[in-house]
Parts: sequence; structure tokens; C-alpha cells
Amino acid sequence: MNTTQQTARVGLFFLLGVALIWVTFETLSDGKFFEEHQHKLVARFNDLRQLKVGDEVRLAGVRVGSVQATRLAGRQAEAVLQIDPTVAIANDSTATIEMAGLISGNYISIDMGSIGAPALADGAEIRTVETPDLNTLMADIGGLGKQLQSSLGSFSAALNGDPSKGGGILQKLDKLVTENSERVNATMTNLQQITDKINRGDGTLGKLVNDPKLHDEMLATVDEIKAAASQAKEFVANAEGVMDQIKSGKGTLGTLVYDQKAADDIRASLANIRSVSDKLAKGEGTLGKLINDPGLYDSAQVTIKKVDRTLDGLNDSGPITAVGIVANALF
Amino acid sequence: MTRNPFTGAEAVAVGVEVDHVFKEFDGGQDVLRNVSLRVEPGEIFVIMGPSGSGKSVLLRQIAGLDTPTSGRVLVDGLDPALEETRAKVRLALVFQAGALFNSLSVYDNLALYPREHRLGNEAAIRAKVTHALKILSVEDAAEKFPSELSGGMKKRVAIARALVMEPQLLLYDEPTSELDPVMSATITEIIATLKNEYSVTSVVVTHDRELALTIGNRIAILMDGEILLIATPDELRASKDPRITDFLNPVIDIQHPRFKKLETQATT
Amino acid sequence: MKQLNAIFEGVGSVVQLFLRSASYAGSLPRQWSRFIEQCYLIGYTTLPIVAILSFFIGTVLALEAGYAMEGFGAKEFIGSLVGLSMARELGPMMTAVLLAGRVGSAITAELASMTVYQEIDALKTMNIQAAKILVLPRLAAVLVMMPVLIVIANIVGWFGGSVVARYVSYVGISPEAYFAALRHFTKFKDVINGVEKAEVFGFVVVLVCCDIGLNTRGGPREIGAAVTRAVVVSLILILVLDYFVTKILL
Ligand SMILES: Nc1ncnc2c1ncn2[C@@H]1O[C@H](COP(=O)(O)OP(=O)(O)OP(=O)(O)O)[C@@H](O)[C@H]1O
Ligand SMILES: [Mg+2]
Repeated sequence: MNTTQQTARVGLFFLLGVALIWVTFETLSDGKFFEEHQHKLVARFNDLRQLKVGDEVRLAGVRVGSVQATRLAGRQAEAVLQIDPTVAIANDSTATIEMAGLISGNYISIDMGSIGAPALADGAEIRTVETPDLNTLMADIGGLGKQLQSSLGSFSAALNGDPSKGGGILQKLDKLVTENSERVNATMTNLQQITDKINRGDGTLGKLVNDPKLHDEMLATVDEIKAAASQAKEFVANAEGVMDQIKSGKGTLGTLVYDQKAADDIRASLANIRSVSDKLAKGEGTLGKLINDPGLYDSAQVTIKKVDRTLDGLNDSGPITAVGIVANALF
Repeated sequence: MTRNPFTGAEAVAVGVEVDHVFKEFDGGQDVLRNVSLRVEPGEIFVIMGPSGSGKSVLLRQIAGLDTPTSGRVLVDGLDPALEETRAKVRLALVFQAGALFNSLSVYDNLALYPREHRLGNEAAIRAKVTHALKILSVEDAAEKFPSELSGGMKKRVAIARALVMEPQLLLYDEPTSELDPVMSATITEIIATLKNEYSVTSVVVTHDRELALTIGNRIAILMDGEILLIATPDELRASKDPRITDFLNPVIDIQHPRFKKLETQATT
Repeated sequence: MKQLNAIFEGVGSVVQLFLRSASYAGSLPRQWSRFIEQCYLIGYTTLPIVAILSFFIGTVLALEAGYAMEGFGAKEFIGSLVGLSMARELGPMMTAVLLAGRVGSAITAELASMTVYQEIDALKTMNIQAAKILVLPRLAAVLVMMPVLIVIANIVGWFGGSVVARYVSYVGISPEAYFAALRHFTKFKDVINGVEKAEVFGFVVVLVCCDIGLNTRGGPREIGAAVTRAVVVSLILILVLDYFVTKILL
């Protein structure tokens, strides 16, 4: 091969290499060499947990930088964040450590902060909020689950109640509505008649709504109404107070909605429920014992398992010998 | 003081001194035993001797490619094994096997030395190289590679390569061994011319009696690693030493016991 | 003891050769054609085998990663695994291994035969240093060509991984997802890291192969032995150096 041809090939090869290096560089680091002109922010946490150098920093989920260093600062830990200088971080933004996924480590999440808030300067410290670690969170959820389970248990017991005592809340509510359906219907009919009358202009209210002559009188009384308005305001304030009380659970909502008798019924049944669940909790009665006595529970469990296995044995392998199945079931 | 054949620059003839040299290879016997000789500047010194007597090894010591086990070799009063000496004294060795650069063409083989030492521009080098190739009538092989040459051509290219180096000291290891009589005569002429007109010192290792007796100023006989004798051609012709007369004028005697021995070996 | 001595001797010889050829660095511009020739041999002619090998290394990495990661639903990370291991480790290392096998052996064979057939001796009588015209152009060429080879090896290997990720049924990751993961975890720094490694490997392989070739003693039979030794020593050195260079660069 002649020399010029060789030189040409080497040159071509070399240029190809340079081009590919450039392509690699462009795709892998978005055209930033050594990330030198970058803002730095300091985020201080009680615990950086699994956060490590190189982890991402995201502003509202968009990658804007990375963790450049982690270090101790007194009794706390600091993460030095490198932020793309074209991105302004508001000075009331907060940084939290978030999990990217179960195996892909953590990242620092920064929220947008408020509109118009001045941007943090290079080297400034950013506000932080400690979020629970996933591990502790998991443990908490576990505990919560247990509590939820036990309370749901007693709640459903209360709802369904003991049939001999007239059923639980649901049954009682049902009964209440069924028994009063006639009266509710009658009220609805009355209401309809009244509104019909108003429409037709019958009665005082009807006239007030329908007779144009009354309009002028109405205007004349506006002043009076205005005077009354201040009184109305007071009334509204009072009403609001009442509403607050209702909302905050003070007073009995039942008394406002239902007649006195129904309210009494509900109250009585609630008392029953309470006493039932109290009894259950204290371990009284068979059901209570079943729930509260661990020995009883365990033995029930064992029995169930044995029965299960016996059934399995019968199902799976067919009857080999009755003795064999029983023996199997015992172990 | 004479002129160099190619550059016309003045060249100083150099001498060689070999002083009580012993050479032993790893675990072997002494290949050279107490060799001492002096090559005067501008002299043609011939070394003869049977095959395996150590001629090539001696030449390598003089060229500085090997160092003696004991004793010393001086070229122009300097140790030839040192790089500085080679930078000062231009020394060329025509290897017995040619030692051409197999990856280079004949032309590039010759041009390597002047190019590396920057002796003139490419045109001057080309003139020099083609001249040397022409002297040895191998100019047609210029673009060939060593593997495409015959044994005799390789030898001639090797000599041409040595000539291009414009040496002050030229060591030949059997320059005519693979050449026809006409070419041998040419080589003989070259060696004589270099000495007479350019005062190049030559050390010629050869089996060629004609060559040795024609151009040698002095001839050393090396046998079994020892210098048997150093003499002028005339003294040598007059020698009555049977070892020398046997070596110089071997009688081919089919009835000699050693041939008998071969025959019996072949039949058994 | 004898072996230990041989090792010291070898190291000494290599270091000496390095210093000697480095001292002629100034002559490189005048040796341009030799340099280009070596670039051609080391870079251009080695490219096909490097590309083929890298492609299959990439595919195997993706296969293995896919198989291992399928178990816990992390297949999306195949790209990052192939990307990082190719750039940081396997690209440089396998290219160096190929270099030892293909270029290193050729260098040793050439220099050993030059030694055995007295060409090196001829150079010596001509006062031309083997370190200058035989070693220096090769060292320079390997330094220039290695980054090119590595980058090509990386890209071909990554591509190989993406092919497997796409078409092997139990992997089944789209090239977009594959390259997104690759880009997410592989930084240009990692590629540079690999290139630095490869430069060290390539330089040492060429230097050692030159040294072993130039120190061949004996006849033509020794050429083969020298080549074998050169390749074995190169491979061992690549692995040993890999540990230390990785440690330094981490
Ligand atoms: N490198 C070496 N290692 C061991 N022994 C060697 C070496 N070189 C030469 N010898 C031995 O030295 C002796 C002399 O060898 P040399 O080559 O000098 O012979 P010579 O006189 O040139 O013979 P010829 O006329 O056949 O070329 C031989 O016995 C040879 O075996
Ligand atoms: Mg010989």
C-alpha cells in the first residue's frame, strides 16, 4: 500500500475517533465540560441517609444539578448542591431528600417556592424539611395498619351488632327510615303544595312573589329591611356559631336532623354498641374470650390448620390409609 | 588524510587494537583465546581460518556488538561498544548473512543511514544510493525487498549499504563467499580502491585465498580461537608450517582415511 | 530467587527502554511516516476485531444483566449496567487484550526476528537507536490510537447491548429506555476514565512487547518463544495494572 493512502486512512480513522469522542461527550454530559460554572447551594439536614455524591438535584422534578459533596456541619449534615446557573432557586424554596425508587437511591427535591421571591445567591443555604425515611415510614405504616385492623374489627362488630338486641347502627338507621317513610312523604307533599301556592300567588308569600304592585311597597320597606339587615347579620353570626358547634361535633347532630325519639333511639343503640365493644375488649362473653384470650385463639388456629391439612391430605394424595392421613395431620 | 568517496570530505584513517581478548559464551568453551592484533590505519587486514574458528565472533568484538570476556578492543583508541565511539568513528560491518532490513526495500536499506543522520537532502541521498547500487550492479533491485533477492545479491546490497555509510573502518565478513568469480573480482577491486584512494581501513574475514593474497597487507590465521600467525602474503606463501600449507593448499585425496571413514559410516 | 531476579531484570530493561525512547521524543516529527505506519497497524487494522468483540461483549453484558435483573424488576437498568461496565472496565480491558494478542505479538515477532537476523546489530553499527526508530513511533501511535479504539469499542458495545435489550424476549426493553438509563448513569467522566486506563494498558503492552522482542537471544526458534512470552506477560500486566489503575482513578 502506498504511503499517502495509508496516511489518508489513518487520518480518516483519527477524525472518526475525534467525532465519536465528541458525540459521546455531547450525549453523556449535555455538552458541559467538568461542570465548572455552577452555582453552589448548601442544604443542611439532620440526617442525609443514603444521599451520596453524584445524586441528582431536581427542581419540581426536573434535573437541575447534582450533589457535589456531603459533609458534617456540627451536629448536622450538609450536602453541597451544584445547580445549573441558568436556573434560579427561590429563597423560600425548600429542599427535601426523596427516594427515587427502591433500588435507585435518593435525590434532592426542591420546590418552586413562591412567585416573585428573590433567587438564592451562589453559596447560600437553602431551607430544608426533613421527610421521614422510607424505612421508618414503612415501620409506621405497619403499626398504623395494626391499629386500623383492630379498630376496624370493633367498628364492624359495632355496626352489625347483636341481632337479639335489635341489630347494629345500620339496621337501626334502616328501620328508622322505613318507619318514618309515611311522615317524610307527607312532609314532601306539603312542601310541594306550599311552593305551588307561592307560584300561583296565593297567600301572603305568594302575593309577595307574584304581585307587581307590591314591588313599590317592597321598595318602601327596603330601608326597614336595611335596618333589619344588621339584626340579620347578628342572626347569621349566631347561626354560624351553631354551625361551628355542629361541625366541631359539639351538640348532637341527631337532634337537628331527626325528631327527639329517633335521636334517643340512636343514643341508646350507641350506648349498647359501646357496652358491647367494651365487653368484647374486656374479654367478657364467648366472643370476647375468643378475641382476647390468646390461648383460645392459638388452639383454634391449630385446630383449623389440622383440619386444613387433613382436607389437603384427602384432596391431594387421595386416601392412602386413614391412619396415615391422621398421622400426617397431627404433625 | 584522504577524501571520502561520496562527500569528498576529509576522512581520517583509524586503527584497531585487539589486546589479549578472550571470549566465552554462557557455559561454553572459549571461542576466542588470547587474541591480540593491531590493524594499522589505512591497512587491509585479512583474517583467515577454518569454519567455526571464531572469525565472525572476533569481528563482532571489533564492531562493538559484543564485549570480550576479558581483554579489550580499541577502535581509534576508543571502546567500540560505546555509543559515543560510534558517533565519532564511522564503522561499517558487512554481515556474513547480509543483515538487510527485511521490512525495507533495497533502496530504503541504503538510504536509512544518510536519512537518519541527515547527510544531505533527498536528492543527494538518491544520487549516493544509486551510485553505490551501480558499483555493485544491483541498481535494478532498488525497489525490491530483501526476501526477493538471491544470496549473492543480498551480499552485494549489504556491501553497497556499507559503502553508503562512507566508513572509516570497514569490516567484511566473507564478502565474496556467495559470489561468482567476476563479482568476486569486483569486490576485490572495491576494497583495494577504498584503501588506495580513500585510505579506508579494512578488516576482511575470508576463505578466499586469492582475495586474501591479492589485497591483504597482512594476513592473520585464526585456528580454534587462537592466532596462529600474522604475516604478509609473501611470508605466508613461503611458510612451511604444515597447518598453514594444508589450510591454504588443501590436497583433495579421495584415498585419505577420513573419506574411508565416511564410506564405512554410510554403509553401516 | 532466579525468577525474582529475572523479573527485576525485565522491569529494569523495560524502564530503561522507556526512558531511552522518551529521550528521542523530539525526533518524532521527523519520523512522521513511521508514526503513521504504526498508527495504521495499531489503530486502523485493529478496528474490525475490536468492533466485533465489543459488540458481543455488549450483547453478553445485556443478556446477563437482563437475566439477573429480571428477578427483581430492574430491567430498566440494563442500559446503565452495560454503559458503565463497558466504558469503565470492559472496553479498555478487552481492547488492551486484543492489542496484546494482535499488535503486541506482531511487534515482538518483528523485533525478535530483527534481533535474530542481526538487523538490530546492523542498526547499532550504523549508530541508529532501535529505541528511537522502532520503539518511539509505536509508543506514540498507541497513545494516539487507543482513545479512538476505546470510543469505538464503547459505542459498538453499547449498541450491541441495545440490540439484545430490544430483541431478546425475556429482556424486551426499548432502545429509548435502554439509552435513557445508559445516559443517566454513564457520565463522560466514566468514558474519560476508561480512556486513561486504556492508554496505560496500551502503552505498557507495546513497551513490554518491544522490550521482549529486542531482548531475544538465539535462533529463529526463539522468535516464537518471545512472542508467547510477550503475550503472556502483557495479559498478566493488563490484569495487574487494571487493579491499580482502577484504584488510582476511582
Ligand atoms: N552467540 C553464540 N553463542 C554461543 N556460541 C557461539 C555464538 N556465536 C558463535 N558461537 C560459537 O563460536 C564458534 C565460532 O563461531 P564463528 O561464527 O565465529 O565461526 P566462524 O569462524 O565465523 O566460522 P564460519 O567461517 O563458518 O563463518 C563456533 O563454534 C560457534 O558455535
Ligand atoms: Mg563466520
